[in-house]
Amino acid sequence: MSVSDPQLDPRGVRFAAALTTVVLAIVLLTGSGWLLAAQAVVFALAAFAGPRFAPYPLLFRTFVAPRLSPPTEREDAAPVRFSQLVGFVFALVGTIGYLTGLAALGVVATAFALVAAFLNAAFGFCLGCEMYALIHRFRTDRTTQGASA
Amino acid sequence: MDPIGLLVLVAALLLATAAGLLLRRRDGRIRRGAATGGWALAGAAPGAEDRVLLLQLSSPVCTPCRRTAELIDDLRARRPGVVHAEIDVAQRPDVARTLGVLRTPTVVAFDRAGAELLRLSGLPRRADLDAALDPVLGPR
Repeated sequence: MSVSDPQLDPRGVRFAAALTTVVLAIVLLTGSGWLLAAQAVVFALAAFAGPRFAPYPLLFRTFVAPRLSPPTEREDAAPVRFSQLVGFVFALVGTIGYLTGLAALGVVATAFALVAAFLNAAFGFCLGCEMYALIHRFRTDRTTQGASA
Repeated sequence: MDPIGLLVLVAALLLATAAGLLLRRRDGRIRRGAATGGWALAGAAPGAEDRVLLLQLSSPVCTPCRRTAELIDDLRARRPGVVHAEIDVAQRPDVARTLGVLRTPTVVAFDRAGAELLRLSGLPRRADLDAALDPVLGPR
């Protein structure tokens, strides 16, 4: 994750989360593995290339931002990229589930990604960011225990 | 239309709404804690004028953590006697464990002797934090 990422308009981040929520809801309703695969690509672009190269922020900048007042605050890109990476992992697992006939795996993974995107869109709450703290603590707990054993 | 998918969608949205409302209510709410040794955890000692240590536990990928640090900077500028120390839980998981902290940002306030005054998770509410520190910092 590059430190030189330009900062983001938080409203754009939530707009992208709202679109993600809608797409994932359609995936659940239709059971379409291919639509989920497309969403996985969207996640991957935001996570690996950076949010400014991803389609939803592009839509925001082109159609929404010009109608809004300039942003009063800005948000660092690194946390957003991390949450998109988490989304990518869930979407990838879900896609594999749907396309290999393991529909239950597809449904569960999609539901997790949907909850995270919805929490961000509706409450501005970044589940990926919270998980980072928890996961990291759990991982270091295990390594320290392993080292002292 | 996938009926199971529809069911899961409705359940996920209800669950997420409940969790979101709960988290929003909890965020910034001031709680009491009984930890000690705050200054040692921060690797610092109070100066002659220092009255309160605000020990902030953060993650590098956390936007509210950065907002919290800005808010505390503003508090320090307005009220002398406040020391701010920010710790990355990824680098110091021992501090998170000692203090029993699972979320970032969490701010734990300690008095001069290192005894915990209060703690809060999520972005602090400026007025609440100000008021909660009045007893140790004196009137504004």
